[in-house]
Amino acid sequence: MDRINDNRCLSRLLEALTAGDCSRVVDEIHDLREKGVERETIIVDGIEKALELLDAKCTVDEFNLLEIMLVGRAAMAAMKEIYPQEPGCHQDKGVVMIATLEGDVHDIGKNIVKMILSWKGYRVVDCGKDCPLKVVIDMAEKEKPLAVFVSGLITTVFPLVARLKESLVARGLGDVMVVAGGAALKQLSAAQMDVDYVAEDVFGALRFLENRVGAVP
Amino acid sequence: MTGMERIKAALHFAPALEAPVIPQVFGFTAKMCGVPLDDYVRNGDTLARCQLKAQKRFGYDALFGVMDVCVETEAVGSSLSYRADQYPTVAYHALTRPSDLTNLSLPDPGRAGRMPEILRALDIMRREVNDDLLVVGVVLGPLTLATQLMGMEKALYLAIDAPDEFMKVLAFAADVVTRFGRAQLRAGAHLTMIFDPAASPAVVPAHFFREFELPLITRAFAEFKREGSLASWLHIAGPVGPILPYYASAGVEIANLDYQVEPAAARRQLSICVNGNLKSSAFLCASPEDILDASIRLLDIFQDRGGFILSSGCEIPPESRPENVAALVTAASSRRGLHA
Repeated sequence: MDRINDNRCLSRLLEALTAGDCSRVVDEIHDLREKGVERETIIVDGIEKALELLDAKCTVDEFNLLEIMLVGRAAMAAMKEIYPQEPGCHQDKGVVMIATLEGDVHDIGKNIVKMILSWKGYRVVDCGKDCPLKVVIDMAEKEKPLAVFVSGLITTVFPLVARLKESLVARGLGDVMVVAGGAALKQLSAAQMDVDYVAEDVFGALRFLENRVGAVP
Repeated sequence: MTGMERIKAALHFAPALEAPVIPQVFGFTAKMCGVPLDDYVRNGDTLARCQLKAQKRFGYDALFGVMDVCVETEAVGSSLSYRADQYPTVAYHALTRPSDLTNLSLPDPGRAGRMPEILRALDIMRREVNDDLLVVGVVLGPLTLATQLMGMEKALYLAIDAPDEFMKVLAFAADVVTRFGRAQLRAGAHLTMIFDPAASPAVVPAHFFREFELPLITRAFAEFKREGSLASWLHIAGPVGPILPYYASAGVEIANLDYQVEPAAARRQLSICVNGNLKSSAFLCASPEDILDASIRLLDIFQDRGGFILSSGCEIPPESRPENVAALVTAASSRRGLHA
C-alpha cells in the first residue's frame, strides 16, 4: 500500500477517534491492518495523534469531560483491536496510584486519568472512590509508586488531601509525588494542599509526571 | 431595607449600592452551631435552627433549605452512606440499567426519604422570617439527578450510546425535581433554585446542554412560576460562558456565576440579575482582607448596572473560616452605609 493511501486511511481513523465513534474506529483499524499498515504506525499516527489533538483542545473554554471520555473509550477500543491478546500497551514506566478520597464518590476524573496513564505505559493501581486515607497510604507502602494522583470534585475533601503528603512522609515515602486535580482541588494551590503539583487537566498531570520521571526528553 | 427588599431591588436592577449578599452556606451553618453534619442533613428542625442562627450572627439576606445533593436520588431508591462529619454519598444507585426505570415511581415529597425534612425546614424558616429574608429551596437539575441515579459515567455514556433511553431517564428526573420544587414552594420557599453542576460546560459541551437539558429546565422553571416562585434562579458551576446565551430563553432571572466566569464579560453578555462569584476555596484559605477586597471589586464592576447579588460562586465549604463569611457581608453592608 502506498503512503498516500496510508495517510487517507489514517485520517479516517483519526476522524473516528476524535468523534469518539468506537465501531468506526474498530472498522478503520481492521481495514488498516488488512492493508498491511504496521501496528506501530497506527498507534503513533492515529491514536497518539488523536490524544494530542484532545490535549490541545483542553483549554479552559473547550475542555469537557464527556469529550475526553469518548475519545478515551475509542482509544482503548482501538488498542484492544490492535492487541487483542495483550494488555493495551507495555506498562513498564512505573507504578502510579490514583484515588478519589473519602467523602467523594465522583470518580469520573479519576477514571479518565487511569485510562490515559495506562495508555502511556504506567501500571495504574486504582484505590477507587470514597477511599480512606489510610488505605491509600497502606497501598503506597506496598506498591512504592512514583506518584499518587488524587482527584476531587467536591470541596469537602480538601482537608484529607492536605494530610496526604505528611502521611506519606511519616511512612518513609516522602519521595512519592502527590498530584491533585479535579474541579474542586484545582481551586487551590500546591502549597495550600501540601502537594507537589495541581493539574489543570489530565494532560497537565501527565506532562508533570513525565517531566519529573524523565520519561520525556 | 430588609434582605428581601434588597433582593427584589436587585431583581429590578436597582443600583449596586443596594446589593444584597447571599453566602451559599449549607453545612457551614452546622459547623458554626457545633452540630454534626450527619444531624444537619437528616433533620429539618436542626437544619432550620442552624440556618437561622448563622444568619442572625452574620446578617446576610437569605436562608437555604438545602441538605446535600443526594436527597432526590435517595427518595427515588438509591442507598446512601452517611458519616458524622461529611455529606452523605451514594452507595448504590437506584438505576443500574435504564430498563429498571419502569420499576421506579415518582417520589412523594411529603413522604419519600428526607424530602419531608426539607419541607419542614422551609416551613420553619419561612414562619420565622416571614418576608424579611429570602427563603431558598433547591432541587437538582434533571441531568445532575440522572447522574446521581445511575452514576455519572454510566449516564453520560448512555446519552451518547442510547439517546432515546437516556431521554427517558432525564424526563423521569425532571418530573422528580419539578414535583419536589413545587412542594418546596408550597412549604414556604420564596423560590426554588435549580442546582445543576453536571450541566456545566466543564462536564458536557454547550450543544449537549442546549439539546438535552435546556427544555427540561425551561419547563421546570415555568412550573415553579405557576406555583408562585419569586424568581427563577439557575446555579451551574464552572466555566458557564458558552451556555449563558441560552439562559434567557429558559426564563432564568438569576444566573449563578462561578469563579471561572469573568464578571465584566458576564455583565456585557447578560441582561438578567447575576450572583457570584468569589472562589469557594478562598473562604477556606484566604484572609478576610482578601475576601473584602475581592468583594469590593465585584461590587464596583456592577455598581452602575445593578442586578447583582454578592455571593460565592458555589458552596462555601463547611470548614471555611467564619471571619471570611463576615468579611463578605461587611463588604456589602459597608457599601450600603457609604452611599445611603
